Amino acid sequence: MPNLTIALAKGRLLGPSLAIFESLGHNLNEARGSRKLVIAARDARFVLAKPMDVPIYVEYGAADVGIVGQDALRESGANVYEPLALGFGACRLVVAGKAEYKNAEWKMLAGLRVATKYPRVTKQYFSARGLSAEVIEVYGSVELTPMVGLADLIVDVVETGRTLRENGLVELDEIFRSQAAFIVNRAAHTLRANEIREVMEKIQNSKFVIQNSPVGKV
Amino acid sequence: MISQPLDKQLPHGVADLFFNDAARKRAVERALAETFARWGYSEIIPPMFEYYESLAAEAGAQLREEMYRFFDRDGRTLALRADFTIPTARVVGTKLFDRAMPLRFFYIGSVFRYEEAQAGVRREFTQAGVELIGADTPDADAEAVALAMTALRALGLNDFRFTLSNAAYLQATLRDLALTAADDAALREAVRRKNAPALAQLLATLPLDAPHQAALAQLPSLWGDPAVLARAVCVNDDARAAIGRLGDVVARLAQFGLADCVTLDLAENRGMAYYTGVLFEGFVQGLGFAVASGGRYDNLIAHFGHDIPAVGFAIGVERVMMLQRARASVAPAVIAQMYDGRVEEARARGLVVEVDVLNRDEAALREYARVRGAQAIWWREGGIENA
Repeated sequence: MPNLTIALAKGRLLGPSLAIFESLGHNLNEARGSRKLVIAARDARFVLAKPMDVPIYVEYGAADVGIVGQDALRESGANVYEPLALGFGACRLVVAGKAEYKNAEWKMLAGLRVATKYPRVTKQYFSARGLSAEVIEVYGSVELTPMVGLADLIVDVVETGRTLRENGLVELDEIFRSQAAFIVNRAAHTLRANEIREVMEKIQNSKFVIQNSPVGKV
Repeated sequence: MISQPLDKQLPHGVADLFFNDAARKRAVERALAETFARWGYSEIIPPMFEYYESLAAEAGAQLREEMYRFFDRDGRTLALRADFTIPTARVVGTKLFDRAMPLRFFYIGSVFRYEEAQAGVRREFTQAGVELIGADTPDADAEAVALAMTALRALGLNDFRFTLSNAAYLQATLRDLALTAADDAALREAVRRKNAPALAQLLATLPLDAPHQAALAQLPSLWGDPAVLARAVCVNDDARAAIGRLGDVVARLAQFGLADCVTLDLAENRGMAYYTGVLFEGFVQGLGFAVASGGRYDNLIAHFGHDIPAVGFAIGVERVMMLQRARASVAPAVIAQMYDGRVEEARARGLVVEVDVLNRDEAALREYARVRGAQAIWWREGGIENA
């Protein structure tokens, strides 16, 4: 059987994810700073992918397991197992808008335009509340869109809230709390049960995993 | 984007098959039909469409949503079949209920589901499977699992593993809890995704007694060899019976010599809404999603008038073909420059021989043989060349 393939999300989760696997004895120097996307390490292969792509890699079995933010996982809707929450990479997915919406009944407004990198979660949020919103998918600088009149509201992740403040936006509602999650392909879970159980146990015992941190609602 | 005329396009989720793909598909179907027939199953061919009301029976909200529906001239709603189990249940419940049981049926054909793009999903796809009707025994469950495994072996897919679970276990555990629909759905979703952290958080908000808490909290970790059955907390007799049933099925599979190919997984509760008991899914190295899935459905035939238990499974023929393509097992072919005695003799021996009918010159015929993946070229005058 080929080595276990592990997909890791590039960006802010990559450092802590690498630290976990380095603490398990893998040499991952190549993953730091280089542009290499596939790294063969001791009895495992690591694939570095964009966060939104990690759930897809794992759902299709291109990777057996992965580490990705719950925000990207929810947005992908991927049919995977998510047995561990890892405690790092904490952020919140929120609805935000200009300060004037803070005390206004924004839920009463018809024809709201909402800009986001999370169109699926955003549509779910608004339709679950019976709100009609026009969801505009943008690929970067979401917080810019209210300022230029492209959107009334945004749905985006916040860590400290600083970016929102600097762009004159206030938080209106929290959709969910996110953190890094360990995800598993369903076929691999059965076909490579022992290897995956071993990796899970090692990760759970890693000092880089923050135990019992609050989990976002599903 | 300028919209293109549709007459040369295909809608999303369907495909044309020809050459090797068409031949391979028929070969898979033949191998499966032969295997099923040897176990005593005879073919059932239900119609491609029938009344939506029949097909919607016990189908569950998701499958209903996914059905292709249309109207006949009298305004009645029809639907394309979305699986074979529901039509087979209708046939048994309305026509064959008084026959000697069990009935053993197999089927092979297209089913249609209006599904969003997701891993390995098409809108027209081919299912080959069986229904074993009129027996609610561990032996019947084990026969279904063992036949699914045997069918994969007949296709040359030997490195499979099956997960085995029992829908009745979670059903029994949740039965007396009177949860709100939203809590029930969130709980099942967390269990289905083995999302232990979210499950723990959800359980902390629910007023459950200690046995229920313990039973549910450990579900995401109850997978592995049959020893996990001993760890399951049973809150009532039905839960105990569900776990006991799995133990019996594993014991029967051991008699087939197949118990080593099974992983128990008590958290699994996906699959068709009509499943009531033992559930199983087959995975093969090289494909990230299940190639076979099945389960027990003891209440479906009752919908059509007669209370008869049944168990069955379906193999995804396109998924088998994906695996075979990944393994590059392309059938060899000979290209012959002209028809002669050798061709006739070789075909009689079962070899696939294609004869050139375009009078190609040597270079063109070599190129054609290369493109077709032929193993050899037979030139006129008896020359043989390995392609």
